[in-house]
Amino acid sequence: MFSASLYVILCSARNRLRVRLRRLREPRYLIGAVVGAAYVYFSFFARLRMARGGNPRRRGSAAAPLYLVSAVRTAAPGVVGLALLAMTALGWLLPFDSGLLEFSDAEIQFLFPAPVSRRGLLIHRLLRSQLGLLFSSVIAGVVVPSASGVSRVRVGVAMWLLLTTGKVYFTGISLARARLASRDAKVLRVAWLPLVTLTAALAIVGVAIARAFSTPPTGFQDLLIRVGTVTTSGLSSIVLWPFIALARPLFAEWAAPYLMAVGLSALVTLATVAWVLQSDAAFEDAAATIAQRAQQRKHDTVRYRVRASALPLAAHGRPEFAFAWKAATETLRIFGRQAIIRLAAIVFALTMTGVVMGQRGGLSAVVGSLALATCMFAVILAPQALRVDMREDLRHLEALKTWPVRAAAVVRGELLWPGVLLTAIAWIAAVVAELLAAGGPFGRMSLSWRVSAGAAFGILAPGLVFAQLAIHNAAALLFPAWVPLGHQRPRGLDALGQRLIMLFGVWLVLIVSAVPGAIVGAIVWFAFWRAFGPAAVIPGALVFTAVMAVEVLLATEALGPAYERIDLTGVERPE
Amino acid sequence: MALTVEHFSRTYATASGAFTAVDDLSFTVDNGEIVGLIGPNGAGKTTTLRSLAGILRPSSGRLRIDGHDLVDDPLEAKKRLAFMPDEPHLFEYLTVAEHLQLMARLYAVDDFARRSAALVDELELTGKEQSLPGELSRGMRQKVVIACGLVRNATTLLFDEPLTGLDPIGIRRMRNTIVARAREGAAILLSSHLLHLVEEVCSRVIIMDRGRKVADGTFVELAARADLAAAGSSLEQIFLQVTGHDREAARS
Repeated sequence: MFSASLYVILCSARNRLRVRLRRLREPRYLIGAVVGAAYVYFSFFARLRMARGGNPRRRGSAAAPLYLVSAVRTAAPGVVGLALLAMTALGWLLPFDSGLLEFSDAEIQFLFPAPVSRRGLLIHRLLRSQLGLLFSSVIAGVVVPSASGVSRVRVGVAMWLLLTTGKVYFTGISLARARLASRDAKVLRVAWLPLVTLTAALAIVGVAIARAFSTPPTGFQDLLIRVGTVTTSGLSSIVLWPFIALARPLFAEWAAPYLMAVGLSALVTLATVAWVLQSDAAFEDAAATIAQRAQQRKHDTVRYRVRASALPLAAHGRPEFAFAWKAATETLRIFGRQAIIRLAAIVFALTMTGVVMGQRGGLSAVVGSLALATCMFAVILAPQALRVDMREDLRHLEALKTWPVRAAAVVRGELLWPGVLLTAIAWIAAVVAELLAAGGPFGRMSLSWRVSAGAAFGILAPGLVFAQLAIHNAAALLFPAWVPLGHQRPRGLDALGQRLIMLFGVWLVLIVSAVPGAIVGAIVWFAFWRAFGPAAVIPGALVFTAVMAVEVLLATEALGPAYERIDLTGVERPE
Repeated sequence: MALTVEHFSRTYATASGAFTAVDDLSFTVDNGEIVGLIGPNGAGKTTTLRSLAGILRPSSGRLRIDGHDLVDDPLEAKKRLAFMPDEPHLFEYLTVAEHLQLMARLYAVDDFARRSAALVDELELTGKEQSLPGELSRGMRQKVVIACGLVRNATTLLFDEPLTGLDPIGIRRMRNTIVARAREGAAILLSSHLLHLVEEVCSRVIIMDRGRKVADGTFVELAARADLAAAGSSLEQIFLQVTGHDREAARS
């Protein structure tokens, strides 16, 4: 099985690489890869070179006291060990698995019926997971703030041992959970053993921590000393040993202490692997449960729930509203009316409490700032995130293109619901922010300015939201190959580069399209400023939004031919 | 003619160059006629159907539905058309009833309630009206797609492998549905690998191979063709001989 497993892994890796390289023949992937590579280079490797060259600013900055550095270095393995113990406990409590038993469809189809032992399958999955673990370890080695290449390799090796042990241990938890459902008393006893052991370990460490912190620490150094006491003395030090052994290589000095630490860490890894391989009896049940969950995730990324009363759709009317109805139904089925009502009730209660407490600031300032942040999010970022428009409907293009609807009407229909929803959110949040203005973010503004700015914002919001949505939908229609379908999240340098280019392009187009409206709006504001004072921003905003609305309408008409021409073969395909 | 295809070609751009999926295809389908479109994998059947449905634009040639060109007058052409693809693409967040309602709105169906109720009954979807596509089997989803196609008064029906995923009762019902629609005057183009279905319901057959039409006629006409005399009257034998797979079949 070992050689067969290696064959599958190497062939898969080689073919994946080949597919990625072959894709680079297409300009969209090549350009994406170049931009993605440049981003990674300037984000990580250029920094490494700077660090190696010596950053004068860093050298000039005040260093931490030596005694504190020494205390941190001594206590660090213990602190990480404690964190690992806590994560181990959480692993039992939360419905979490390592993914090691998440066999692919092909693995289930070919390997399960093959004459391969359960242990062999586990080893196969363990070997298969190594590529991802090695990649994560390399990334950890690259990002660690160090000037030496050797120390990066050391950190990488330590991280690999740590991640491998974690992956295997969490698989052991999945297997033990499956065994806990057994009716066989002997199997049940074996299944409870690790849980009882862990509970005892937690109790011992918990008591030691409680004793060490019976009085509050006097400072950071004292805190480190007390953690050191817990991790290096008494029964707790024995209980924590495997966890600290895994953490120690990350902090050990080169060479003898590091090599010794790596040896002990590898011993813990091997012991964990042996435990899991010994406990493979519940393999089928655990693998079946996890495969079922993975399958559900794959086919049902978003879960929709039908409610008793659906949104009504009139039998006749403009097709744009039918599209809006479709998108609104989707949104309501994701969030649910009750959830929306509950959210609205919470927002209302918080707002009212904030208004009552407004004189003293406090909560009203917090709620006001929150409302302002929501408002900004709805207008600036949400049009990119909320994809219930053409970006999602590219998946259904085959159905859409058979409908007897004008292309421009399709585009307008796709914009309508997300635009209305985000505008409504922005307006509600703006009203809340306005109401709490006295204690909140607009506390220093005069009433006339507050009211004028609020009204201007309310007028500007739909213009900005619809303009962004139009640009995102235009990008989807003009460059369908660059837009991930539905809930797909393409990976790789080329996908990263494509995302960056799209983001930059959308913002550039938005700025350019806002210029005419901004100029005319500014002229109007200037013309009325002397007569109306702060209120002059309202006609300025009106003019800006009117210009944007005309631009959006023209854009939907101009995009019609693009929709007619769009070729399904050009739509982004999964790897 | 309800459906007219004139010198239709469709070319795809691939990484290794241009690939012609359909090359200079011409045929017509009359009202009340059921025409079978058959051919081996990669013959260009699905490309033809998807182009006729308005999903793909033809590279050259003309496609007309009731005289309306699909490129020059797409709205009028699409209003008269219903395409039932082999892979049921449904909106995962709309129920069966809502799919029908949306179709009725987009196609301006007046007697929606009556037609919808009759279709739900005819296609055995009763009790599934409030189900989401994710809660339905493959066969049921296929029936929903077909119901969406039949809920409006289309004069031209395009079926791509309509029996995929259906149980034996569903297959019989679907066969009856197709024949009934033809009797009502619809022009039907049906693509399928199930030659016995084509033989049973179609009045004429078009055989495609490597993007080109290699035979077109009734079973009697095809069987009478001099070059196909050796094949006999079985559609399977005619198909194998026309596509040049008869020797291969004989060897195996």
